Amino acid sequence: MPTVEFMGQNFTVDEDGFIDSFENWNEEWVQWVKKEEGIEELTDEHKKVIEVLQDYYRKNGIAPMVRVLSKVTGFKLKHIYELFPSGPGKGACKMAGLPKPTGCV
Amino acid sequence: MAFISSGYNPDKPMENRISDIGPRKYDEFYPPVIAKNKGKWLYHEIIKPGILVHVAESGDEVYTVRVGGARLMSTGLVMEICDIADKHCDGYVRWTTRNNVEFMVDSKDKVDPLIQDLEGRKFSGGSFKFPVGGTGAGVTNIVHTQGWIHCHTPATDASGPVKATMDVLFDDFQQMRLPAQLRVSLACCLNMCGAVHCSDIAILGYHRKPPMLDHEYLDKMCEIPLAIAACPTAAIRPAKVEFKGQKVKSVAVKNERCMFCGNCYTMCPAMPLADKEGDGIVIMVGGKVSNRISPPKFSKVVVAFLPNNAPRWPETTDCIKHIVEAYAKGANKYERVGDWAERIGWERFFEVCELEFTHHLIDDFRDPAYYTWRQTTQFKF
Repeated sequence: MPTVEFMGQNFTVDEDGFIDSFENWNEEWVQWVKKEEGIEELTDEHKKVIEVLQDYYRKNGIAPMVRVLSKVTGFKLKHIYELFPSGPGKGACKMAGLPKPTGCV
Repeated sequence: MAFISSGYNPDKPMENRISDIGPRKYDEFYPPVIAKNKGKWLYHEIIKPGILVHVAESGDEVYTVRVGGARLMSTGLVMEICDIADKHCDGYVRWTTRNNVEFMVDSKDKVDPLIQDLEGRKFSGGSFKFPVGGTGAGVTNIVHTQGWIHCHTPATDASGPVKATMDVLFDDFQQMRLPAQLRVSLACCLNMCGAVHCSDIAILGYHRKPPMLDHEYLDKMCEIPLAIAACPTAAIRPAKVEFKGQKVKSVAVKNERCMFCGNCYTMCPAMPLADKEGDGIVIMVGGKVSNRISPPKFSKVVVAFLPNNAPRWPETTDCIKHIVEAYAKGANKYERVGDWAERIGWERFFEVCELEFTHHLIDDFRDPAYYTWRQTTQFKF
C-alpha cells in the first residue's frame, strides 16, 4: 500500500485514501484529509462529527448509520454534506480514520 | 496524456458546482412521429422477427427494427449506431430494457434499406454487429452483469458466458418458433444483480469453498459486527486470534455452516473466497415477471454445479440448449418454461431435459424450505 508523508508524519493509505488502521490516526491525519477533500476550514462542527464517529466506532466496532450520526450530532444530512462535501462515508469516516465503507456502494 | 482541465478548480471544489439536475427529460429525444402520436396508438404487429409496426389513431405508422447489442460497448460502436441513426432515422435511436437497440422509421420503404445496412455490418472477427431479431416468441438478449470485467465478488464471468450462450441460441434470436418468449439472464454471483431470480433460464455464478481469513488485516479493514451480521446462516462469530505472537481481533467461520454466499466478503475485504476450481455456474429455470395467465414466479435451481470452462463454457451452453429444445418440443403455445414445468410436474421436467436430480436441489433454508417438499401422493413414476 502507498504511503504519504505529511507534516513530518508517515501514513499508509489504500488507493481511495483511507488510512490502513484506526490506531494510526492522529491530528495530522485530519489535516491531510482536510487538504485532500478540499475542506476550507475545520470548525468545531467538523470535530464534533469526527468525535461522534470515533466514539461510536470504539464502542460498537462499526460506523454509525447515517440516521444515528444525524441524531447524535444534531446535524441534518444536508448540513453534514456542507461540512464534508464527499459525504459522511467518503469524507467524515475517512477523516475520522474509520475503515472504508463496504457493500454495494 | 498530459492533463487537460475541464474548467473544474480542485482548490475550490464547490465553486460553480451543478448538482441535482437529474437525467434529461425523455421527450426531448422522441422521434417526431412518436411525439405526435404519444398515447394514441391503436395496435401493433410483428411483421417478421425483429421488425415491429405500430399504428396510431391518426393512421401514422412507425416501424421499429430491433437489433442485438453486446451491452458492453465501446464509444466507437456507439458512434456507429449514431451514424446509422443519422442516416436512416433522422438521428433518433433507443435502447430496450434488455439492452437491445431499436431503430425507428416512419414509413415502410425506409425499412428494407435500414435492415440491409444493419445486417451488412460485421466485426473483423466475423460476428454480426447488429443482428436483427429479439421479438415475439424467441430468445432475446441476455440480461447480465459485470463479471471479471469490473466486479470484485464474481464467481464467474458475465460477458464471456453470455457471448457463448447467445452463439448457441442465435437462431432463436432471429426466429419466433418457441411456445412463448424465453428470457435468459446471467448474474456472476448470488447478489443476483439483474433478473436471474425471475427468468425462464438463469445462469448464476456460485462458490463452493468457505472464505479465507486474513487475520492480519481483518480488524483494520473491516467492521467486524457487519461481517457477522452479513451471514444468512450465522456461520461467523467474533474471535480473538493469535497472529505472529500478537492477539488480534478477528472472526471465526464454522465451515460446516457456510454455504459460500460471499456476503461476508462484500462487507469485509479480508474474507476473500473466489477459487478457480471451486467456482462455477448454477442453472435455474422457470421464473417470469409478467402476470399473463399465471402470476409471476421465481426461477428454481435445476443444475447444482457446472464448471467455469472459459472461454466458451461448453457444459453450460450444452445444458441450456438441451433445456430450450425440450421446452420447444414439449410446451403448449403461450406456455412459459415455468408454466410448462409446473403443468407436467418437475419430476417429468427433469426426465425430458435429461437433468440429474441431486440432493443439492432440495431446499433446506429455514422454515419456508418445508413448503417446497411434496406433501401429497400425487407423483408420476
